[in-house]
Amino acid sequence: MPELLKIRGLTAGYGPLRVLHEVDLTVKAGERIGLVGLNGHGKTTLFRAITHMAGWQQGSIKLDGVEIGGTRSLGAGRRTSGIVRMGVAMAPQGDAIFPGLTVNQHLDCGAFTRTAWRERRQRREHILEIFPPLRALQNSLVGKLSGGERRMVSLGRMLMVEAELYLIDEPSLGLAPKISRAVMDAIWSLPTEGRAMIVAEQNVTLLSGRVDRMIGMHAGRMRGEVGHVALN
Amino acid sequence: MDFGIVIYALNLAAIYGLMAIGISILWSSVGMINMAHGATFAVSGYAAWIASEAMKPVIAAAFGKTLLASMATASVVVGVALIAGALMGVVIYLLAFLPIHDKPNFAVRSLIITLAINIATVQALLFFFGPRSRGLPKIFGFGRFEVLGVSIRYDQAGTIICTVVLLGLVLEWLRHSRKGLEIRAMMQNSEGAALSGVSVRWTALPVMVVTGALAGMAAALLSQTIFVSPTAGAIPLIKGLTIALLGGLGSVPGAVLGALLIGFLEAITGVIPFLGQRYVMFVQFAFIITVLVIRPRGLGGLLDDTRE
Repeated sequence: MPELLKIRGLTAGYGPLRVLHEVDLTVKAGERIGLVGLNGHGKTTLFRAITHMAGWQQGSIKLDGVEIGGTRSLGAGRRTSGIVRMGVAMAPQGDAIFPGLTVNQHLDCGAFTRTAWRERRQRREHILEIFPPLRALQNSLVGKLSGGERRMVSLGRMLMVEAELYLIDEPSLGLAPKISRAVMDAIWSLPTEGRAMIVAEQNVTLLSGRVDRMIGMHAGRMRGEVGHVALN
Repeated sequence: MDFGIVIYALNLAAIYGLMAIGISILWSSVGMINMAHGATFAVSGYAAWIASEAMKPVIAAAFGKTLLASMATASVVVGVALIAGALMGVVIYLLAFLPIHDKPNFAVRSLIITLAINIATVQALLFFFGPRSRGLPKIFGFGRFEVLGVSIRYDQAGTIICTVVLLGLVLEWLRHSRKGLEIRAMMQNSEGAALSGVSVRWTALPVMVVTGALAGMAAALLSQTIFVSPTAGAIPLIKGLTIALLGGLGSVPGAVLGALLIGFLEAITGVIPFLGQRYVMFVQFAFIITVLVIRPRGLGGLLDDTRE
């Protein structure tokens, strides 16, 4: 299996705060990885460093052999749109939704490549199949939706284009158990052929048995693989 | 009650609205307060004046003194003002956005740079054209007409109609085009926009051009009532900025409502016997401060019922 993402010696943080310490991570194509760890131990910062949204960062990040990392002290977000266009799709924590746009417009925003924009109707249809509750809400403003519906919109926006690497940050955060299970099922239904997915999550049982590897994160360092747990 | 006051108020509201909406859109999408908006206003006014002076013999030779001639003059004035405003937008983009947009404290730095551009431009205009005011050709002609017993000046009617048409076009563009979708996405959540592949660098340029053109239009229209001078942009800038604040920075409906309120307030203050024209600014600022004390985020939040 070819290496899709290869991170070497990634250090990142915000201002004087250093969050990630020399992180190494390799992800192969076709892999689903669960990233588990407590609040404030660097899961989100790892994702933000991959998309150049952390405050500052240093270290090599290779996507399909192309260097997208490097040293940067300012300009968080400067390279984000370019990296997204190279095939990194991210559903951020807190959803980063546009409250004044409708669900349909939202999904259109995600269709930023030329082909995706041309096929946006079919693709929207596809997203609505993955998240059926959105079908009745197509023309309502996202700012009026509930937390679970917003999460679906945010994930749907991410899925409007084909990406190589999906970064999904705490998909169950703040959702009722039933809804979070539905959202997770939708995530697991995505095909992983030739692409990879990293899901950061605190609820280990939601990941257990569904991911190929589970990696623990503690105090900004990778703590190796975590065994699968089963509560039942 | 004299209904002429309504027309006067709408006329003011139209011009303030053009300025305020430009400032508001620019703040929420790009994150900069454009203090050079007044300079854009003045430059557009002067560009329209130069163009109309230069074209006067050409138009006179081609059309004589017919209706066609005044229509040609009108299109020269409006067209040149729009283009000059848009070009000023590009200049501000190159000087005050591109070099610093990814540095820390961009909001404050860009405020200082645009303020500097404003002062430098006003001084340059003073240097080249002197302090004398110039009159633009009256593009709507002189005269009045009566609707339901209210007499309306041509320039007032023209200003209101032109503003409604132009703002309608801009808002339709924002609502229905792909670029407009990207701009609105950026206005509402810059991080989400970046994750949807929207580059701030390339989306800021059309925003600057469009808001600059709006200021240019405001200059062409206001110069039907007052004269073009190097400092002509100061008052529209201040009013546009305060109305944008009143409406809640970033809210287009809020800016429209704010412009209407301030327009009517100015018109009404002018006719109240013990206040009169000289208290217009005083009353306006008292009103804006009162609103902001009660609702620090402006009027915009009252108009939409979504949450962050």
